[in-house]
Amino acid sequence: MAQTSSGTINEPDDTNDRTNASIRVHVGFLDTLMTLAGELVLSRNQLLQGVTTGNLRATEISSQRIDMITSGLQETIMKTRMQPMAKMLNRLNPVVRDQSQQVGKSVALVIEGSEVELDKTILESISNPLTQLVKNCIAHGIETPGERERTGKKAIGNIRVRAFHDAGQVNILISDDGNGLDPLNITNASGNGADLTGVVAHIETLGGLLELDSKKGVGTDITIKLPLTLAIIPSQITCVGRERYAVPQVNLDELLRIPLDQVKERIEKVGDANVVRLRGELLPLLDLSQMLGIEKKYVDLTTGTTLADRRKHIADRRSKRHSLNKEAAVIERVPDLALKLPDRASKDRRSGTRNAVNIAVVSAGAYTYGLIVDQLQDSEEIVVKPVGRHLKRCLAFAGATIMGDGKVALILDISNLAQIAGLSTLPEVRQLTADSEASMHHEGSKTALLTFKNSENEYFAVPLDSVERIERIQTAAIEQIGERKVVQYKGGALPLCQLSQVADVPPLTPKEHQEIVVFKIKDRELGLMVNPPMDTASVFLEIDATTLRQPAIKGSMILHNHTTLMVDVLELARAIHPEWVQ
Amino acid sequence: MMENTMETASADNAFSTFHLGASLFGINRLEIQEINKNVEITQVPHPSDYIKGIINLRGQIVTIIDLGRKLGLNPVRKHTDNKNIIVHSENEHIGLLVDAIHDVVHATPHDIEPAPSNIGEIKGKYLQGVLKNENHLIGILNTTEILKD
Repeated sequence: MAQTSSGTINEPDDTNDRTNASIRVHVGFLDTLMTLAGELVLSRNQLLQGVTTGNLRATEISSQRIDMITSGLQETIMKTRMQPMAKMLNRLNPVVRDQSQQVGKSVALVIEGSEVELDKTILESISNPLTQLVKNCIAHGIETPGERERTGKKAIGNIRVRAFHDAGQVNILISDDGNGLDPLNITNASGNGADLTGVVAHIETLGGLLELDSKKGVGTDITIKLPLTLAIIPSQITCVGRERYAVPQVNLDELLRIPLDQVKERIEKVGDANVVRLRGELLPLLDLSQMLGIEKKYVDLTTGTTLADRRKHIADRRSKRHSLNKEAAVIERVPDLALKLPDRASKDRRSGTRNAVNIAVVSAGAYTYGLIVDQLQDSEEIVVKPVGRHLKRCLAFAGATIMGDGKVALILDISNLAQIAGLSTLPEVRQLTADSEASMHHEGSKTALLTFKNSENEYFAVPLDSVERIERIQTAAIEQIGERKVVQYKGGALPLCQLSQVADVPPLTPKEHQEIVVFKIKDRELGLMVNPPMDTASVFLEIDATTLRQPAIKGSMILHNHTTLMVDVLELARAIHPEWVQ
Repeated sequence: MMENTMETASADNAFSTFHLGASLFGINRLEIQEINKNVEITQVPHPSDYIKGIINLRGQIVTIIDLGRKLGLNPVRKHTDNKNIIVHSENEHIGLLVDAIHDVVHATPHDIEPAPSNIGEIKGKYLQGVLKNENHLIGILNTTEILKD
């Protein structure tokens, strides 16, 4: 079969394609392939017979044999494409000689692991990047003989290129004993800076990784990790709506599942974007269904039917929010009132495992983020197939694959997805949250308020730090003593009041239950009877202290489109219990 | 039927015709690989709305284009009669989704007349011309233009 089975993931240089149209293969491989082919014929016959005679047992046995034979074929054919790295590595010798002469340095090159084998296509593809890295090492890493001697090193610099197998991948380690490379400065270094980002991108297109370990004054280790083959990649299958999407294993860091009751703690907002907190770090979240314009679905556990998930917001409204506004970057903490308020949790319709948030934590290059999907399915080895030219424009996909059931699934291009979504890179997110958390320590920029109602259309607010706690009592428990109301509470009596006693507002309508906001004034407590809903808000206080000023009301402000009256707790207390406040 | 009784019915002279809405169109049979019943299409979010999705054609990933949309007509309405016309194009296969297949019409490229100006909303470049067949006017399509991405 002349056609290469690799697709958009691998696009080798045209020059290489034209030069090496044939390879040398050890005859032993061909013998193995012949044997496997023979086995396959036998199993195929057995399978056909089992199917036509309806013999389930024979079908099962032959299917197992075919499973093993397929793996054997896959392995053997892959091996026939493997070539020793010797030739490619040896080409580094003249490169080192020329480059070091050019920049006036002395460099000795040591090559190890020439016998390590790599897939022909990857081999051809890695030659240029490797050369780039070595050249860069000589240009920026190794110091001039003079500098080296001054720091006590030998005048001749050393570069060691070692190829070896590790954890199912081929590693190429480029070590030098130079000055050490500053990772941030590599991209800024004149000339070669751009080449290095190109190198990294290229290696990632091959399904590989580049790791850099550098110590100032001591040297640098650059490790390139490459997969053994391109056409077949291990991947994590995910589901969004009715379609499946494959995430290449090389991009997958981990899988996260956030049960509904943890959403408000773990999912936060930075500006408009949802982020997830993972071991102290904030990762940007990318909602795949939103990005691809697909309706999310979930399977109703009771009926088994697939329904549309109409939730538009991932973060709970009680989730922590970070402001992106750098001048006023303050974390708006929306405190958890659930402990004090009547138990609404049981009435929450969003319960059950189907509504947990499923996240695949992925990374590619500088991007690490969480990909939100409907379902996480199995991990599978998939064959990468190229898509037609009309679809090459869809940068979100790196290719397609045919699943076991014959249907097509798309392979996600993790790096491009991030760029399309306009995600911040991990360093950017870290910087934003650092700024945000730093300015949280500014005093008095924003005030946290507790809001509540008196009558249906009257909104009130009070500074949250003046609130001791919130209670809900049976109205029947309220006792009237003269003009005052109290309620028995923890062995003592809590005096109660309402705003109508002090300000020009209507009295509350009696109900079965009564919500109370408890304030502490000096060492006494006062309970203000209020109407729900109660909520919190964090705002810059801009109180109009004249228009609606009255006793116990400081003034007003607009909050959530409502005129909200600010309660003056001290004045309230003084009006009800003048004897408390001198 | 046309004057084909006098001519050898060769692939050169045959056009596969099909319906798109109320209109009839045709493609030279030489350009067609095969015609398939509508298999399950995997949707692909794509900037162009005429890309319906992709299918598995014996191991190859084939892009399916809604020919109705591409030509500026109504989208192909889902029906059991829908077929994919798989054509060769550069070095891949592309599927054209149509409402229903009609007859094979035998005619020579000679018989193709220039399209009248009132052929409707279709861009001129997508048509090579028209064929008159009985009472029908068959729009002969220029697949090269249609399949340009």
